Amino acid sequence: MRNYVVKMVLQIVPVLFLISLIVFILVHVTGDPVNLMLPETATEADREALRAAWGLDRPLYEQFGTFLGNVVRGDFGTSFHYGEKALPLVLERLPASFELAVAAMLIAVVLALPLGILSAVKRNTVLDLFISGLAVIGKAMPNFWMGIMLILIFSVQLGYLPVSGRGGLAHLVLPAFTLGVGLAAQMTRLIRSNMLEILGQDYIRTARSKGLLEAIVVGKHALRNGMIPVVTIMGLQFTSLIGGTLVTETVFAWPGLGQLLVTSINTRDMAIVQAAVFVIAITVIVTNLLTDLVYRLLDPRIKYNG
Amino acid sequence: MQRTFTSTRGLAKGLLILLAAMLILAGCSGGNKGGNTTDPGAAGTNNSGAGTETPAAENGEKVLTIANPTDIESFDVHNNNNTFSEAVMVNVFDYLLKNDSSQTKQPSLATSWEQVNDTTWRFKLRDDVKFHNGDPFTAADVKFSLERVAKDSGLKQHTYYKDLKEVNIVDEHTVDIVTNSPDPIMLNRLSRMGADILPSKYIEENGMEAFLKAPVGTGPYKYSNWAKDDRIELVKYDDYFGGEPKWDKVVFRMIPEASTRVSELLTGGVDIVSNVPATDIERIDASDKASIEQATIQRVLHVLMRTAEGSVTADPKVREAVELAIDKQAIIDSIAGGAGIPTRTSVTPGNFGADPSLYDQQLYDLDRAKALLKEAGYESGPKITFTAGSNYKEVAEVTAAMLTQAGFEVNLEILEPSKFSETYNAKGFKELFLLGVGNSLFDASNNYNRFLQENAKGETDYDNAEVEELLQAAASNMDPADREKQFQQVQQHIANDRPTIYLYQMKGIYGVSDRIAYAPRLDEMFFAEEITLK
Repeated sequence: MRNYVVKMVLQIVPVLFLISLIVFILVHVTGDPVNLMLPETATEADREALRAAWGLDRPLYEQFGTFLGNVVRGDFGTSFHYGEKALPLVLERLPASFELAVAAMLIAVVLALPLGILSAVKRNTVLDLFISGLAVIGKAMPNFWMGIMLILIFSVQLGYLPVSGRGGLAHLVLPAFTLGVGLAAQMTRLIRSNMLEILGQDYIRTARSKGLLEAIVVGKHALRNGMIPVVTIMGLQFTSLIGGTLVTETVFAWPGLGQLLVTSINTRDMAIVQAAVFVIAITVIVTNLLTDLVYRLLDPRIKYNG
Repeated sequence: MQRTFTSTRGLAKGLLILLAAMLILAGCSGGNKGGNTTDPGAAGTNNSGAGTETPAAENGEKVLTIANPTDIESFDVHNNNNTFSEAVMVNVFDYLLKNDSSQTKQPSLATSWEQVNDTTWRFKLRDDVKFHNGDPFTAADVKFSLERVAKDSGLKQHTYYKDLKEVNIVDEHTVDIVTNSPDPIMLNRLSRMGADILPSKYIEENGMEAFLKAPVGTGPYKYSNWAKDDRIELVKYDDYFGGEPKWDKVVFRMIPEASTRVSELLTGGVDIVSNVPATDIERIDASDKASIEQATIQRVLHVLMRTAEGSVTADPKVREAVELAIDKQAIIDSIAGGAGIPTRTSVTPGNFGADPSLYDQQLYDLDRAKALLKEAGYESGPKITFTAGSNYKEVAEVTAAMLTQAGFEVNLEILEPSKFSETYNAKGFKELFLLGVGNSLFDASNNYNRFLQENAKGETDYDNAEVEELLQAAASNMDPADREKQFQQVQQHIANDRPTIYLYQMKGIYGVSDRIAYAPRLDEMFFAEEITLK
């Protein structure tokens, strides 16, 4: 197992290099940041001067080389837009993004688990159809529409919750719910199909024939195994919640990584885009690694070589 | 069949590890919770939403909250290029002289000024001003601030100050500002973005990076906190030279989504909201908490056209047809919710050199437009490509439809902002393109840079010897009355030659809480000292 972890960690370096190269090429190929930085009245001479000041007039391979050299020292460069170092700017956003991601995940689990189990146990009944229908609707509803609707109902009309921004727990409710519902919809169907498969197994029949209460059969014996793919999905979804939540962040003015990343892409702010993609890539890799490990702990059938 | 079993310990361990990992990461959210936690009981005079952060909370503190669509760029006043950034800066820093709400120059850090010769201006400075950290304001600060932006070509505002040669310290409270060549708009330059005075001693001792994290100025409000993409908090500076500031706290919140901004206004979460979409005007006016304020801003929509031989728009009749085909008022009413003024010039009132005879009017004559196209030899319309950025999509669509009605065959091209910017700088547009042009110098010269022969090459290719002469002369004409006439003549020429036509001057639409009195400014600045509780 230790070898496995070591091998995974070693694979990270070439992956990050490749990601960084792709980002560099894409950002450069799609536009010149200097154009967007200066006012309309700036002359070509002004633009050249700004390019020279930022080292943007040197050949691409040289720029990339300098960039890599700095990265190994933890310096992703300075943001054109903010004038500050990129990495701290990106890291500053992580708490907000994680807070939202964890809350959304919690809501998703709290909604999906009972609904998924229920629809599996009461398979093909009206309840099952109803829950499946809900899941489809939950998945189909666009994030921004749901967010705006929730604001109109709970903040403007009823005044129970704040409209937007990051603050205390009350501020977290609506954005987390908006994200969580979409996730819950996916997880419900997954839990349902998984539970159905398990409930058809021999050992479940054995447990029932032993005279155990149905609640124990489902809640203790079936659920344990049913949780395995759910844990996997949770891990995978978590990574999409970091940096992939732009729409919800925009609607709720939530200062997360998604907004920073998209703004920086629009302004071709190379340093921040690189730093953000790096951080997200590392989050994804670490989360996947953790999920793999947990998965292996849960299911002893899985053995990793080496 | 293999037996499946999962030890309870394994499952519990696994879930705990995953959950713990997530919680640890989320636990880093100990930092920067920006803003008060909700406290319905402590609400001030306005609180509809019980859970909202009410502005007048906590101990009767007077808090002004303004919501903008974007965050500021930084506290480096020389490296910002965005009115929203400057709208915050003007509360923390001061200029030597500032524009009041009718754009008349008033003394600020300078008490008086005079022109010593064509290239030198002498400013007498106040002697009773202290920076937020206690350092006294002196001539050295003016020298440091202005020379920095004038000399460093890596700063975004450099392009507006590069003609400034040097600042000479005559004595502790007198400076001479020297330019390379005569500059008729020096006073405009010194009262806008980029001319805020920075603390030289503080920056020289601590470095610019430290300054950006804890900025210090002479303005009525001190920096308190900046949670990026969330909010900026400023607090009252008791020793402000202009007297005790009106508010205890000024908060700028960044809310990118327009409907969310409006919701915050309606629940009392913010006092002023900028960039209200036209579709929300009725809703806000109907509310008993807020109302709409509108004011013209420094932005005029241009439709620029190529006049070079070989282009369909080289024929003046075709260009005239373009103008006559467009019902500008209809666009204003349908797209902008009435928030605009049709114009045939970009030098609108409040800008030096304005020609009132070309303002607040349009030439709309669809039949004449069709006739002109026939006269120009087009039985079935000329083919034109009309390009616009996605931020003006609806305006472009309506305009294209109007042009089609007149007989043009329009290929409408909507580009994403950075692609638009790129094509613009590469002068790659085809026959027509839509551009929203601002004017932060409040001077006609700023509008006409693009029609100088050298600059127009490749874009409009406008080439009128008389206009060229007028513009070159005006560039260094230090006689305001004469200079104004020169610009008015230029406007008449442009209105007749039509290398561009103008659609309308935009108006800013603001949602304002009924508890405060606020009159929006032409320059879109938010001077907290000009905003009061009713």
